[in-house]
Amino acid sequence: MNDGPLIVQSDKTLLLEVDHPRAEEARRAIAPFAELERAPEHIHTYRVTPLGLWNARAAGHDAEQVVDALIQHSRYAVPHALLVDIADTMDRYGRLTLTKEEVGGEQALVLRTTDRPVLAEVLRHKRIKPLIGARVDDDAVLVHPSERGHLKQELLKVGWPAEDLAGYVDGEAHPIDLDQAGWHLRPYQEQAVDGFWHGGSGVVVLPCGAGKTLVGAGAMAKAKATTLILVTNTVSARQWRDELLRRTSLTEDEIGEYSGARKEIRPVTIATYQVLTTRRKGAYTHLDLLDARDWGLILYDEVHLLPAPIFRMTADLQARRRLGLTATLVREDGREADVFSLIGPKRFDAPWKDIEAQGYIAPADCVEVRVGLSESMRMAYAVSEPDERYRLASCAAEKLPVVDRIVARHKGEPTLVIGQYLDQLDEIATRLGADVITGETPLGQRQKLFQAFRDGEISLLVVSKVANFSIDLPEATVAVQVSGTFGSRQEEAQRLGRVLRPKEDGRTAHFYTVVARDTVDAEFAAHRQRFLAEQGYAYRIVDADDL
Amino acid sequence: MPSPLRSLADDIRQRSDAQLADLVRRRPDLARPAPADLTALASRASTRASVQRAVDALDRGRLQVLESVVWLAAPATAASVAPLAAAGEAEVVPALEDLWAAALLWRSPEGLVPVRTAGEVLGPIAGLGPTWFELGERSGIADPEQIRAALAQAPEAARAIARRLTWGPPSGSVGDGPLSAAEGVAAEGARWLVGHGLAVVTGASEITLPGEVGLALRDGLLHRSAELHAPRVQTRALDADLADRVAGGQVTELIGLVDELAASWGVQSPRVLRTGGLAVRDQRLLAALLDVEPDRAAFVAELAYAAGLVDDDGALDPVWAPTAAYDDWESEPGSIQWARLARAWLASTRAPHLVGRPVEGGTGSANALGPDVVWPPIRSLRRAILDELESLPEGASPSREGLIERLRWRHPRRLPVTVEDLVAVVLREAEWLGITGRGALSRAGRALLDGSEGAELAATMQPHLPAPVEHVLLQGDLTAIAPGPLTGRLAQFMRLVADIESRGGATVYRFRAETIRRALDAGWSADQILDGLRDGSQTPVPQPLDYLVRDAARRHGQTRVGAAAAYIRSDDEAALGAMEAARELAPLQLRRIAPTVLVTNVHPQTALELLRDNGFAPVLESAAGGVVVPPPTAHRALTRRRHSDLLHHQVDEGYAASLVTALRAADEEEQARAEHTADTPEETDPITVLALLREAAAERHGVWVGYSNNLGQVRRMLFYPERVEGGRAHGVVDGTRQTLSVHRITGAALD
Repeated sequence: MNDGPLIVQSDKTLLLEVDHPRAEEARRAIAPFAELERAPEHIHTYRVTPLGLWNARAAGHDAEQVVDALIQHSRYAVPHALLVDIADTMDRYGRLTLTKEEVGGEQALVLRTTDRPVLAEVLRHKRIKPLIGARVDDDAVLVHPSERGHLKQELLKVGWPAEDLAGYVDGEAHPIDLDQAGWHLRPYQEQAVDGFWHGGSGVVVLPCGAGKTLVGAGAMAKAKATTLILVTNTVSARQWRDELLRRTSLTEDEIGEYSGARKEIRPVTIATYQVLTTRRKGAYTHLDLLDARDWGLILYDEVHLLPAPIFRMTADLQARRRLGLTATLVREDGREADVFSLIGPKRFDAPWKDIEAQGYIAPADCVEVRVGLSESMRMAYAVSEPDERYRLASCAAEKLPVVDRIVARHKGEPTLVIGQYLDQLDEIATRLGADVITGETPLGQRQKLFQAFRDGEISLLVVSKVANFSIDLPEATVAVQVSGTFGSRQEEAQRLGRVLRPKEDGRTAHFYTVVARDTVDAEFAAHRQRFLAEQGYAYRIVDADDL
Repeated sequence: MPSPLRSLADDIRQRSDAQLADLVRRRPDLARPAPADLTALASRASTRASVQRAVDALDRGRLQVLESVVWLAAPATAASVAPLAAAGEAEVVPALEDLWAAALLWRSPEGLVPVRTAGEVLGPIAGLGPTWFELGERSGIADPEQIRAALAQAPEAARAIARRLTWGPPSGSVGDGPLSAAEGVAAEGARWLVGHGLAVVTGASEITLPGEVGLALRDGLLHRSAELHAPRVQTRALDADLADRVAGGQVTELIGLVDELAASWGVQSPRVLRTGGLAVRDQRLLAALLDVEPDRAAFVAELAYAAGLVDDDGALDPVWAPTAAYDDWESEPGSIQWARLARAWLASTRAPHLVGRPVEGGTGSANALGPDVVWPPIRSLRRAILDELESLPEGASPSREGLIERLRWRHPRRLPVTVEDLVAVVLREAEWLGITGRGALSRAGRALLDGSEGAELAATMQPHLPAPVEHVLLQGDLTAIAPGPLTGRLAQFMRLVADIESRGGATVYRFRAETIRRALDAGWSADQILDGLRDGSQTPVPQPLDYLVRDAARRHGQTRVGAAAAYIRSDDEAALGAMEAARELAPLQLRRIAPTVLVTNVHPQTALELLRDNGFAPVLESAAGGVVVPPPTAHRALTRRRHSDLLHHQVDEGYAASLVTALRAADEEEQARAEHTADTPEETDPITVLALLREAAAERHGVWVGYSNNLGQVRRMLFYPERVEGGRAHGVVDGTRQTLSVHRITGAALD
């Protein structure tokens, strides 16, 4: 019997025993094809999916390597059916390729196969047929360039992902160089850039803090063309801009910001997802941006957060080089397949050690405080309409003294109280004698308060959900959430990491959630708990009385 | 000439004890029930049923040799058989020896003679037509040289027909009308063949190529290809250790599935269908629970049933539930568990693959655990397939086609037509059971086939099963992971307090409020659950889990549900107290469940009357809470429909006439029966009747038989039997062809 750290389950999950002496070796072996799904304290769960296997294929791994990795590190015999399935799945990638070929004296986009029955099979699909043009020969059909993205999406859905070798337009040339005075790209960053450039399009997976921006800059220096950078929010846009100014030959005049506040289009333009997905009367008003210039490169920051409309837009941009940057390929909405077919396969994955260095493990102490409701409140809750329940539970008056106690406990530490409902926040602010920032707070007032918070003049702020989405939310060591969530669970973990930084003196940051017992509020909390624990955060539940 | 039966008997009598022992081992049906003496053994050995079994068990090589011997129709020797079988003498000798050892041949001084029934059982030899003799033609050409010479001069059409009929079927039609009138080249050719004594007319436009002619055209070879030796099977060589390891992995999973099934059915037992079996819906639920394909779920259920681990509980409203045997099984180590399952599978006549397929000759599809899944041939087929695997070297994984080819050679007469499908099914099940690993027989599987059982068999599997673990790892995301198979008690406990989320080498359990509640419902307290977790875990209990358990316990049992037949409520708590205390009301067995509520298990009406009798003044309350006013008390019976007394005892003319006719007919029949039974032959034992008929058929004698018709009347008639087969005697009575069922022959005597 093998004594490996890995246990292969019949549902295609891989369990990795973290404390095993050979755990790191096994982790490295399975990382190319398996996605980390959960990372609690003892055993990490990876999942083998067709996408993961095709990513590995696109990165040049073959089925044999994958099977070897499993057999070598597995503690028990690996189910034969699973190995066969892996080999079969990997074999599906590359049977179809999209290429540029000369047809009738013109360059045309062609879907070509090495296996005729596969082509026959996919051509029979109702949703693929309209995307296909005339036959070129027995093994190939014409594809209209505008359907390149849709076709790849549909092919992936039917399980025959196409390898896109059709190449890219160069775009409008623009000189960009890395200004490597006093610093250099780290070796793995160079590998990432090369991996992307070689593959043409695709996703680079790097943990936060591992220098994704520099990989982006490196890619731009390779492309030497006008670049559109899509980022999640304006803070990020500013960070990109600063970083590019510092690390490349680009000057301020060459970098434009296209956001809610400013609408500049320059050779390098940084736009937010939000502005692109803004709709007026049902129409996307800022789509022109995508065609405003002959972009040579499109960069997607935080691909795992890419909103659905951007995918639709991206489907039309398949002739341009696309680079996706992210810390994880796992998406809340399950649209990993769209990332794969529209942005491209994974081109580079950082070694785990670097992810660990980023502080994945327990960056904050998460405490869920359960508050019992008074009898009258329970009665009111029981007879309320289902759509009112959440608000009723969230705004329970019993939460207020608990918030007082928590705030008092961390007196002097920078503390944020975060909530969804304004009247509740107002009440808390009054009780605590603190300022409230909501979406309606004037910008000047907001910035003033934030600045005072940063400078340590005030140590407590009450902010609404709207405000916590605002770009310049300062860092704190204590956060108290009284109602609502941070958005998706994925987003929540990210934001949590950003807002709560451990103090330099080693004191841990704290994240409190105040939850009404036995209500939907607690049910939401259970989801959060599971997710945070899976992400490796320490999580505790206490009763308000025991606080 | 001594009668043939006696000669086989002589041969058998002369065999040594070892040879006789060998014979009954080859043909077990001769030994059970034990025959009275060797003569009885010999006659049983030549019965059609027994010979059929013996012939069906022959491989293609032996069968070809036997066919050659039967074809010769004369005492055979290796020298006379070898040319027919296209083999050297030395090659056919072992086959002849085997056939003799199985008493399908006996030794006469001139050579080996087949038992008479062998010819009947075999039917047309190698697809050749009947011989001239059998066709009743004396003038046909029998000498191969002459036949070939005659045919050499035949017109092309005649030769084409002869070629078509050479390798069978030996008969063919030309056109629709009589041959003499048919036109065209083919008819000409056919007429030429008949005219030159190379074929006979056997139907309106049908001609048959006699066996001698066919054989001559086959250049004297009985079979197109001689297959005295088993075909080689394409195999893939596998590391034998790997096969064992893979098998071990499969076994771990299988045992987990059986456990899961029993655990689930112990709590929520699925109903037994009225027709027996498990409802399709329950099978789907099981598949979802086990997270496997429905096929496999059916297999697991059938296997557990075959091994006696689950059964119909026999209650009035029966359900499928784990048996007491399951409890024993569950506490055994994995290897013993496997041994029990594997042996049960090997011996079972149930064919799980039939689940969900249409029932043959019925409507709908077969239900798992139902009676339609019983298909006895599957047992010998399993054995046959595994025996082929066993004949291969260790670690050899055969190609499916090769295996089927080999099986067809080994059991040419016994394989069902769907053999491809069945081989796939059996191999799949063997793989699931760890009898094979990646298609190669595992060492444990080999031991199973060798007949090992119990601890000895278990020991062969044991090294390949993961060592059982006695702990789980508890994690902050409310999961627990057992990094190997859990042993008995902890496994039960974990299954109670958590759901299984993923299965395989390890088991991932997930705790949820519902699962904790389940444990609380089962009578565990929060502290007991936490203690159980602490004992079973190598890591401390994470705080969220601790909280989850305590939180679930806090809410558990806050409200209670019970049954009562009636309640008594009153705002006057003192009055209720008085009722509770009153001795006269003791029969009500009142119980106070709240200050203002008493309950009793007595019917409300009775309670009401008893209370009234004792000076209380209760009123009846309706379900809606209102007071029930009793209906007027005067009693009325229901109006019933009465029988009409018309139309009775009327006998009209038509009815009388038909009655008389029927009576008269019955009377006449009675008389006729009395007349006919007068001179029928004495009652004879059916075995004797059969022997008599066979003998008469061979010698072309007439037999007086008593034969009962559909009405049970026995008639006497003179019957000329021609052949006896399948319980029927075909022959001639009063110049007309008739087929008599042997079981209706009450007696027989030679003419």
